[in-house]
Amino acid sequence: MLAVKTEGLTRKFDGFTAVNALSFEVGEGEIFGLLGPNGAGKTTTVRMLSCIISPTSGMATVAGHDIRSDPTGVRRSVGILTENPSLYERLTALENLEFFAQAYGIKESRQRAERIRELLEFFRLWDRKDDKVTVFSKGMKQKLAIARALVHNPPVLFLDEPTAGLDPEAAKLIRDMVTEMSGKERRTILICTHRLEDAERVCTKVMIIKRGAGVVIGSPDELRLRMAGRPRIEVRVKGDGESFADLVRRIPSVIGVDVINGRILVTSKNPEEAAPEVVRALVNGGAMVLSVNETLPSLEEAYLRLIKEDA
Amino acid sequence: MTDFSNAMLVFWKDWREMRRNYQVIAPILFVPLIFAVILPSIIFFVPTMFGIPESSFQIIGPIFQSLPPEIREMVATLGVQQQMLYIFGLYFFAPFFLIIPLMASSVLASDSFAGEKDRKTLEALLATPLSDGELLLGKILVSFIPAMAVTVLSFAMYCVVIDLAAMPLFNGAVLLPNLLWTELIFLVTPTVALAGIGVTVIVSFKVKGYREAQQLSAILLIPVLAVIFAEISGLIIFGPLMILILGVGFAALDLIVFKIGIALFNREELLMKGI
Ligand SMILES: Nc1ncnc2c1ncn2[C@@H]1O[C@H](COP(=O)(O)OP(=O)(O)O)[C@@H](O)[C@H]1O
Ligand SMILES: [Mg+2]
Repeated sequence: MLAVKTEGLTRKFDGFTAVNALSFEVGEGEIFGLLGPNGAGKTTTVRMLSCIISPTSGMATVAGHDIRSDPTGVRRSVGILTENPSLYERLTALENLEFFAQAYGIKESRQRAERIRELLEFFRLWDRKDDKVTVFSKGMKQKLAIARALVHNPPVLFLDEPTAGLDPEAAKLIRDMVTEMSGKERRTILICTHRLEDAERVCTKVMIIKRGAGVVIGSPDELRLRMAGRPRIEVRVKGDGESFADLVRRIPSVIGVDVINGRILVTSKNPEEAAPEVVRALVNGGAMVLSVNETLPSLEEAYLRLIKEDA
Repeated sequence: MTDFSNAMLVFWKDWREMRRNYQVIAPILFVPLIFAVILPSIIFFVPTMFGIPESSFQIIGPIFQSLPPEIREMVATLGVQQQMLYIFGLYFFAPFFLIIPLMASSVLASDSFAGEKDRKTLEALLATPLSDGELLLGKILVSFIPAMAVTVLSFAMYCVVIDLAAMPLFNGAVLLPNLLWTELIFLVTPTVALAGIGVTVIVSFKVKGYREAQQLSAILLIPVLAVIFAEISGLIIFGPLMILILGVGFAALDLIVFKIGIALFNREELLMKGI
């Protein structure tokens, strides 16, 4: 079963289209990234998928529940880290989780206590459980808000900008925790982010959205291939690379050869066979091959190019 | 659809937050303290020490004229200090007890509805499976119950102040509580508190946050102030007729504002409007 499926999901605000006929599918257990610049429509999309706001047109199902006809079913199956942590700052960490656990229908108090303890320990907040949220750092609030989203053990988790506003260290901690968590429990996670790094490191599949519409979709590796072009082969030889470069240029499938810092960088029409061909040509020509690497071009550059493009 | 235990869950959550919020606690403690204890104490205890200022007679004059004949006759036989206490204590202050439930309920409701907007906590709350009815009921109760508690408590304190002041003047007679005041506190003030809540709920859909909600719901002070001035000018006297008019008037207002409030209540509107 698909965890999330949308078809032509659209949301307008007074004539302005924030989300434009978005269609995508998220398989069960997938960590799906919705990647796009600010204002792309990510938050609006997850708000619709968690039944916080209604779509103007189109349909979607979440964990098998239709967002229009069964909003309560959707709400029960979804945990959401909202764009603002949305925590009650005058309440303690424990009081916050207690409230939401009950709001999500966990009636039995021992079961609640166990779940809350498990989450607070996982997020290393257990010894701060009786502190009011006001005194928490941004990173702690974010962790507590993720714990809140998980309190009813939902099959589908939405994380809207989980690392926004955090310093690099805290951001990494959150990413690591999401990865660790998804390894431990089988849960579908949809992450909205404008940071390529989040999508690249955590997600199994990424959709880039721009002005409310999907642009490309695929695994981080597929996106890299598709957006940034072909992989390159980097060969290190003994001696000056430049003197052997012509050997490589003569190979028919090779498109481009650069020599940077004595290393030979090769782009080929068919990357699968490129490495053996290049090595054979170099060895036959008398070069001593020290190492061969396949390098993928930077996704970041390609992503920045994509979101800057007009049209 | 509406599970009462879920409404109470919202109630206790809001109450925990409010009681830690001086912005809420300060006005609902100080305003009643002023009207029920400080102001009456000044009026009743200061004159016994320093004599009665001339201006007090100007204020009670019209009230005295509009008293029911048998009470006027009775009051006319009293000494000056007794007259002052009787008219100020049993008549003049009555409409001020409409301000207490009104102010308290609208402060509480502003915090519960618009305050969640201010603090940006609404989104996670609206994402829960709690139904509209449960959210609305919980938030109405958390505005109503403390507002009524404050009103009843202020009335109790006011009775103590009046009776303490009356003790030496009326040979230990207990003036309050009497039937009229009991009717005012237990029949009229609940309808006033509900009107404050209803108006605040409606207003909360249009505003950014607590402060604005507070300012807008203050329009309900207008009818209350009108009653106060009508009494001071001798137009109407605190009595069964006034109780009836206020009770019926505010009950009708409650019906209207709650009908509008419930019709307006929509999770998405509450979240998106005015942000
Ligand atoms: N309530 C709203 N009213 C009007 N416009 C909105 C509203 N919410 C979002 N938008 C607009 O929709 C677009 C998408 O916003 P959003 O979904 O928050 O993007 P993202 O999360 O990708 O940054 C933005 O241009 C934003 O200004
Ligand atoms: Mg966003």
